[in-house]
Amino acid sequence: MSSDATTDVPAGSAGRPDAEPPHPAPSAGPAAKPRTARPADPTAEPHAADPARPDTLPPHAADPAPAHAHLGLGRLYLRRFSRNRLAVAGAVIFALLVLFAAFGGRLTDHAYTDADFAALTQPPSGVHWFGTNQGGNDVYACAVHGLQRSLTIAVSVSVLTIVLAAVIGSGAAYFGGRTERATLAVIHFLLIVPSFLILALVSHRLAGDWRVLIVVLTVFGWMSTARVIWSVSTSLRERDYVKAAEFMGVGPLRIILRHIIPNLGSLLIVNLTLGVVATVLSETALSFLGFGVQTPDVSLGTMLADGATTVTSAPWLFAFPAGLLVLLTVSMTLIGDGLRDALDPTSATGSAGGRR
Amino acid sequence: MTLATPQLDPASHEGARPVLSVRDLRVTFPSEAGPVQAVRGVGFDLMPGRTLCVVGESGSGKSATAMGIMGLLPPSAGLSGRVLLEGQDLVGLDDRALSRIRGRSIGMVFQDPLSALTPIYSVGRLLSDALRVHQDLTRRAAWEQAVQLLDLVGIPDPRGRAAAFPHEFSGGMRQRVVIALAIANRPAVLVADEPTTALDVTVQAQILDVLRLAQRETGAGLVLITHDLGVVAGHADDVAVMYAGRFVEHADVTELFRRPAMPYTARLLAAVPTVDGGTRRPLVPIGGEPPALVDLPGGCPFAPRCAVALDACRTAEPELRQVPGHGEVACLRATEIADGSLDPKRDAAPVEPRSPEGRAAAGEVVLRVEDLVKTFPITKGAVLKRRIGTLHAVGGVGFELRAGETLALVGESGSGKTTTLLEILRLARPEGGRIEIAGTDVGTLDSAAAVRRLRRDVQIVMQDPLGALDPRMPVFHSLAEPLRAIGRDRAAVRTRVGELLALVGLDAAIGDRFPAALSGGQRQRVGIARALATEPKLLALDEPLSALDVSVQAGVINLLTRLKRELGLAYLVVAHDLAVVRYVSDRIAVMYLGHIVETGDTEAIFADPRHPYTRALLSAIPIPDPGRERTRERVVLTGEPPNAARPPEGCVFVDRCPLYREAGEELKRRCRTERPAQTAVPGSPGHRYACHAV
Amino acid sequence: MVRHVIRKAAGWLLMIAVATNATYFLASWLLDPRSNYRELRPVRSEEQIDRALAPYNLDPREPLVHRWWDWFTSVTLHFDWGKSPTGVSVNGEVGYRALVSAELVILATVLSVVIGVALGVYTAARQYGWADRISQAVSVVVFNIPASVAALVVVFVAIWLNQHAGMHFLYVAGENSPDVEGLLPTIGDRLLHLIPPTASLTLMGYVGYHLTQRSLLLDTLGADFVRTAQATGLTRAQAIRRHALRTALIPTAASVAFSVPAVFTGAVITETVFGWNGMGRYFVQTIGKNDVHGAVATAAFAAALTAVGAILADIATVFLDPRVRVS
Repeated sequence: MSSDATTDVPAGSAGRPDAEPPHPAPSAGPAAKPRTARPADPTAEPHAADPARPDTLPPHAADPAPAHAHLGLGRLYLRRFSRNRLAVAGAVIFALLVLFAAFGGRLTDHAYTDADFAALTQPPSGVHWFGTNQGGNDVYACAVHGLQRSLTIAVSVSVLTIVLAAVIGSGAAYFGGRTERATLAVIHFLLIVPSFLILALVSHRLAGDWRVLIVVLTVFGWMSTARVIWSVSTSLRERDYVKAAEFMGVGPLRIILRHIIPNLGSLLIVNLTLGVVATVLSETALSFLGFGVQTPDVSLGTMLADGATTVTSAPWLFAFPAGLLVLLTVSMTLIGDGLRDALDPTSATGSAGGRR
Repeated sequence: MTLATPQLDPASHEGARPVLSVRDLRVTFPSEAGPVQAVRGVGFDLMPGRTLCVVGESGSGKSATAMGIMGLLPPSAGLSGRVLLEGQDLVGLDDRALSRIRGRSIGMVFQDPLSALTPIYSVGRLLSDALRVHQDLTRRAAWEQAVQLLDLVGIPDPRGRAAAFPHEFSGGMRQRVVIALAIANRPAVLVADEPTTALDVTVQAQILDVLRLAQRETGAGLVLITHDLGVVAGHADDVAVMYAGRFVEHADVTELFRRPAMPYTARLLAAVPTVDGGTRRPLVPIGGEPPALVDLPGGCPFAPRCAVALDACRTAEPELRQVPGHGEVACLRATEIADGSLDPKRDAAPVEPRSPEGRAAAGEVVLRVEDLVKTFPITKGAVLKRRIGTLHAVGGVGFELRAGETLALVGESGSGKTTTLLEILRLARPEGGRIEIAGTDVGTLDSAAAVRRLRRDVQIVMQDPLGALDPRMPVFHSLAEPLRAIGRDRAAVRTRVGELLALVGLDAAIGDRFPAALSGGQRQRVGIARALATEPKLLALDEPLSALDVSVQAGVINLLTRLKRELGLAYLVVAHDLAVVRYVSDRIAVMYLGHIVETGDTEAIFADPRHPYTRALLSAIPIPDPGRERTRERVVLTGEPPNAARPPEGCVFVDRCPLYREAGEELKRRCRTERPAQTAVPGSPGHRYACHAV
Repeated sequence: MVRHVIRKAAGWLLMIAVATNATYFLASWLLDPRSNYRELRPVRSEEQIDRALAPYNLDPREPLVHRWWDWFTSVTLHFDWGKSPTGVSVNGEVGYRALVSAELVILATVLSVVIGVALGVYTAARQYGWADRISQAVSVVVFNIPASVAALVVVFVAIWLNQHAGMHFLYVAGENSPDVEGLLPTIGDRLLHLIPPTASLTLMGYVGYHLTQRSLLLDTLGADFVRTAQATGLTRAQAIRRHALRTALIPTAASVAFSVPAVFTGAVITETVFGWNGMGRYFVQTIGKNDVHGAVATAAFAAALTAVGAILADIATVFLDPRVRVS
């Protein structure tokens, strides 16, 4: 389901099974993650000359190596990432948000559970920096706690999802045959099941507890990522170096761990960051509808729901959580795009006229 | 069909005005490491109806030159100099002005026909669109012309096929369509960028003929860009040799081949393997690698690899200058070389020919294959796959290979040679027939441990040296992997990796590098070292040289020969290039559509090819010698290999066989219905072929 | 082609059936219809509540398998999807609300596609120009705004406009006003109600099309065949329009075909914020009211429309792309 929530979920939205390989991912949202930032210069990629096609167009005059030989791979990635100003800005914003969630609570005496009955629905002031809500809770304290909650959920779900998806996706691709068919059938089935509805159903009953929410979001969130990983892994499986490893007698588990998953690296990292965005959006949507985190616990989604009714009369109730949310998702997206461009030279296919 | 290649057109071009003049063309690409100076001052004149071949290795800047002339470089590239087409300078023209010239005055044929055609339009539509861009034609008239063009470039049933989409054509047919697109508006200049590199050798011969025909029809001047000196010898009037972004020699084709005056050209010619008759001459590797085109140091870029370089060569880059009676050469010592007083190959050690005693030393049988069969299901649908046919990849292949011996499987793509190799490497019971490695029938291997033990004896070197190495693993770990897989401890692995690097002539420091930081030759050496890690008895080499440049190839051939002698290995080589095969193999098996049609000792096959397919294959390979290339009799195959889903019932070659077409009724019937058996050639032990008509 | 579609449809039908039945068990397990009666006055005993639920096949004393069988037969034989715990027919509700959703979402979908694709094409052809950078920046931000935030911002703006104009012309609650009579006033009233939620949905929807269309086209711009087209004498712009764009639109067309049926399932958050009684809100309400049959019917409806969308997308691709045409 993931970022379906962006375009507002159709009721009981099923994920989007992009069925056939020749059948392009039919999705405006999640499956084909739209690229945003692109490197300023598409030909500036240090990809080696394609040996099968002598004299490919930007000619990498034989050996682009010396320039990179002593520049470690990590340093190279960092350099490429830091050249993308938007990505750096995203990283800074995200770091500030994390700091705010972790230590913002120390700056105020109010706890998010405290009710100040002397100040109900007060606009921001020196005492209550972000104002108070109808119950007299300090919005600043709530926002710190809500951000903490939303971040925890988003990061854990995203990490769990990517691990699950990587193992299942690459395993299915590598082993092929019956394992692959069965896995795909399960993914396909879970994609037609209206996952948002199931999510709402399950969390309606079991949630309130954010830990349950993490489990539920993970269980119903790994499929589309697994499918992407599977389709990339099927091409990795055919790579010569994987075949070479097989012919050298390297075991299947080792091949998956040492050859397939590392070469999925950039895809996994990018999906991890974008997964955070998707989870934040899902969690917000669920909580907004009353199916996610529930009182007395607070997340940014529940704060939005609280503020929804008083948009005009008490806009601060809505504005602060909304602002934090947008900062969070936008910064994460910028980081994700920056990482994709930095880690994966071949993704810069938008080069006008340049060949891959 | 047998035809003699036409002689050079003797028509004088004196006094004619060049259709294309290029002056001081420079192309730069930005890169991580700084600007890449891909083309550094190229200039030439092209006369109408003449062919200029630009020849060079990968990265020499020849494609960038072509794109620069066409004005099709990516926007980030920098272009300067002058490109005068019929007197008009194209450099600096805007897109609109260029578009009026492209396609009308200058046409281009691209390298990869598979991706060069828009997939959603029929070829007729593509052609008529190309016509209507420059000519005021009705749809119907344009379509008619499109059909004529398709006919001209040799598409069978052009009227019917005009409505077909590009993906319904084979690679060779698509390249014909691309040629038709390029000549649609009868341009004065054609630029062809490696037009046959992506094609099989028999199809290459057809396409080059079509190109020649197209040129004759339109009278266009042709700039033919290629890395294949054989193609140059057969097609060029003038040749320009490119090295490190510049022309280093530019001369008349016969002059250039007769006496190359630039040491690089001379060395290149000495390093290229050939198939032509007579004795095999030794190959001389050039050694070293071409320079990177970022921050070139001063001096001649070839100097570090040159056997006759002077101190002056290293300080200033020599200009291209006229050498009396030869053409233009960018070498300080060109005059000495041209008058024969200096041998540019001085001190270079030739590749050792296969040791004659190699055959005698051949020991125990390492590999025995009998009646090997492999089929693939042809399926449709993605979720619910259904089988709609069977691809007969290999049908009853058998051979034997002894220690110290090299057997080459040769054939076009789709002949089943690589499938045979992979079936052997799979170490599992084959679908049909028997495979025996080092005395063990792989069908009887019953445990994973037994398979692992046998794995040590068989290893593979893959075609694409870059693809065969995990890009995220340093060389050391790539080499250590097979050793860890057989359970060596850390210390043993470290010593063995050192030995292996030394064995293939690489520096130990390379162990810390990533594959992307190695040159093509180094990568292939790493690939070979990895294959040798477990001390195998049998080495399978899948097109081990085809991804390498000529100047590097000879060195790898040298290495393989040495390793075989030192380690007593058996090589099973898969290759499409008979010229290369001649230098590495003791015996050859020619495959066609999953069957061995002829097998025998290398020299026997070259001296006396029996099967019509072998003959065609041999004659399709261009010889880098203009005199012989243009006079020899050629067997040109028509058509392309048939679909292996429905192999003919009788002889597999029947559809394309030149002998079949001339055969009598009775013989034709046999060819159609009866699989020919292997017939031995009298007086030549081990030489057998399968043909009814010979 | 027809056989291909029938084969696919049969596969989908099977999966829908399995998914729907699984949802039935899940919903029966997780939803408690009795809670609808607990709050009622006078207070009823558990037994009374169960008895009240019995006519709707929701009696918890009945074994789950029996209830499922009754539900299953009534669905397969009469296409009757059951009743809510308060006795409202699910069929009637879904029928009415799907149309309400369609009214809301169709316009928004059309606008999203048109705006998004046009913007994507325009900006891809001018990569790194100022128009590209600005629209890209806007889209990235919009893409990351949660639907609820976007909807509330629209509400805020609409109310502000109303106050500014000094009249109540934009409606931010409900799909129509209760007391309007006559054909033209009714249509006008509905249109005014339609504007704010449509604006919100379009805002959320165009972004995806913009970003994917832009990157699809950029990927195609580098293709060899675009260069071939230029070599035959087209300007870059012409080559892009005639060759790259046509090719790059195929996946978008498939994706639009896929999303068309979703108009009937509505938009959960937008409907909730703007108080439209469409399918989206129905879905929230069924769960909130522990309406097992309603929730299951919503799930089945959504799954069926997903299948229809996938098949439509297949057909669109086959129709537009000669490479996958079934011979």
